[in-house]
Amino acid sequence: MRFGIFYELSVPRPFAVGVERRVYENALEQVRLADELGFDTVWAVEHHFLEEYSHCSAPELFLTACAMQTKRIRVGHGAVVCVPAMNHPIRVAERAAVLDILSGGRLELGTARSSTWSELGGFEIDPDTTKQTWDEYVRALPRMWTEERTSWQGTCFTMPERAVLPKPLQKPHPPLWVTVTTPGTELDAAERGIGCLGVAAASYAEQERRTREYHRRIQSCTPVGAVNENVATLNFLYCHEDQATAARTGLGMLGQFGLANAHLLFTREAYPTRAYGSLANLAPGPGRRESSPADASGVPEGMAIGDPAHIVRAIKEWESIGVDGVNFLLNAMEIIPQEQVLASLRLFAREVMPAFASGRGR
Amino acid sequence: MRVGSGDLAAFERSAPLLPELPAQDLTLPGVEILQATFELSGPRVESLFPPGLHPTLPVLAVFAFWRASDGPLGAFALAQLRLSCRSGARPRQLLVASFASGERAREALNARFGFGARAAQVELARFYDRAEARVALDGRTLLSVHAGAPLPLGTSDLQFFSSIHPARTPKGLRLVQVDTDYALTRAERGRPVLDAFDAAGFGTPDVRPSYPVAAVVALGDVTLPRVRFVLRPDVLAFEGTEVVG
Repeated sequence: MRFGIFYELSVPRPFAVGVERRVYENALEQVRLADELGFDTVWAVEHHFLEEYSHCSAPELFLTACAMQTKRIRVGHGAVVCVPAMNHPIRVAERAAVLDILSGGRLELGTARSSTWSELGGFEIDPDTTKQTWDEYVRALPRMWTEERTSWQGTCFTMPERAVLPKPLQKPHPPLWVTVTTPGTELDAAERGIGCLGVAAASYAEQERRTREYHRRIQSCTPVGAVNENVATLNFLYCHEDQATAARTGLGMLGQFGLANAHLLFTREAYPTRAYGSLANLAPGPGRRESSPADASGVPEGMAIGDPAHIVRAIKEWESIGVDGVNFLLNAMEIIPQEQVLASLRLFAREVMPAFASGRGR
Repeated sequence: MRVGSGDLAAFERSAPLLPELPAQDLTLPGVEILQATFELSGPRVESLFPPGLHPTLPVLAVFAFWRASDGPLGAFALAQLRLSCRSGARPRQLLVASFASGERAREALNARFGFGARAAQVELARFYDRAEARVALDGRTLLSVHAGAPLPLGTSDLQFFSSIHPARTPKGLRLVQVDTDYALTRAERGRPVLDAFDAAGFGTPDVRPSYPVAAVVALGDVTLPRVRFVLRPDVLAFEGTEVVG
């Protein structure tokens, strides 16, 4: 089981001078601590124009800062939006290779296609085309990284033969992932031999079904590059010795995040299309699913919010259904004071991590 | 979260009277539908909403047209302007202007739902290569919009959202939520073009549609169900939602 931390970099109103800087500095302090504590990966999203929800529009810069301030934790683009109007594929390959070199071979590259009208509309992107452009990117990137010179004749971009430089440090190339929001994307991942980076809440039963199907399908995949057979899910972390305190604080974070998420203008709300089958994103569903009838805390099923024993049980359940990694959001809108976030990380590392084998440093 | 900053007194002055909330469903068969959606721009967007609602980012202006050839209200056409928002965490559209042709239908819709539709010439026509709609008052065009190059979609590819509108109810000024249900048999998407829009004449001088998003052309049965929820316009939905009946 691998543990990661995951950043949207949400910023609460009012947007006074220095607020964004404080959010970034808090995140960097958390990353430094997570590195010391043995967390495996820090992920950062790419979002544009999403006021409050995410001010993380240049994750490659944030991740470069993370890499320069840490020694072992891997840095994950979670994920690069694979449409030319936002990121040309050659630039994606180049930036990723540089980050891989600067981090000493610690890059994980997630790929995505954006899910909100705010973002797609802002870049004047036709939502009908994003699945196709994503597909082209994930086939082109490994070639750009591994071939001395590459040419490409596609539908979303073409290039004459050139050497895309530099080449990544990891050989043959950094692990590739795709963010999974819409049900069925796990099958796209399996067929291409890339990892499933879950960014939407799913129940144990739903995640088990998806994971089983992913592992079955990837056995007969047509790999776009080096196969990355891994499934990671997203979670929320607030760990405290007292279950009630943990639930109160953690649910506050969950509520803030869920509300901000519900206020996003998802693509299908504005633009009718078959290309976006889901309105959902990161937030757990509106129906609150309790872990068991005996759990009166109100914490939704599978969330890592509670005392260490509760969190161990939740993650053991994820592990038992084939999930390889869990990535945690640590805060939302800075609702949890920084010292409490750091204390939660320390307690998790001390009391929860030892219950799980593998992962870095365990 | 962004919240509305509109003047409640102004909402109350313009809100229609709704002495009784509708307790029964109304189904309109075979309704031709055109919805043309544009992004709004301008510094006063928040003022278009009461404090109980959250404007979306960006706000979408939805020009919605229905044309019924027969049914319980007879032949009529209805035009509405709705603005995208959130009520608590739920996606909603705030109805800010309404016009109808067909006097019997207009009176019935106003009396039962409090739409406050003004009498006007409302037209909706669908051709092979485009659908077009118009609102005219005393010979003056207030709105002209068309959807070009319709592309067939599955009926489940479209999403519709409940509308809410201010009305003076026995409980006082409330936002009345109408959870309209659409049973579609045909759905298309086209590119919306705003040929003319007299914002002041429409009664919405601060509404500035700026960027075309999408148009929907559809056919199906439309059901206006009994009202289940009303909301206080002055507080957020978590506090201000009231169950009807």
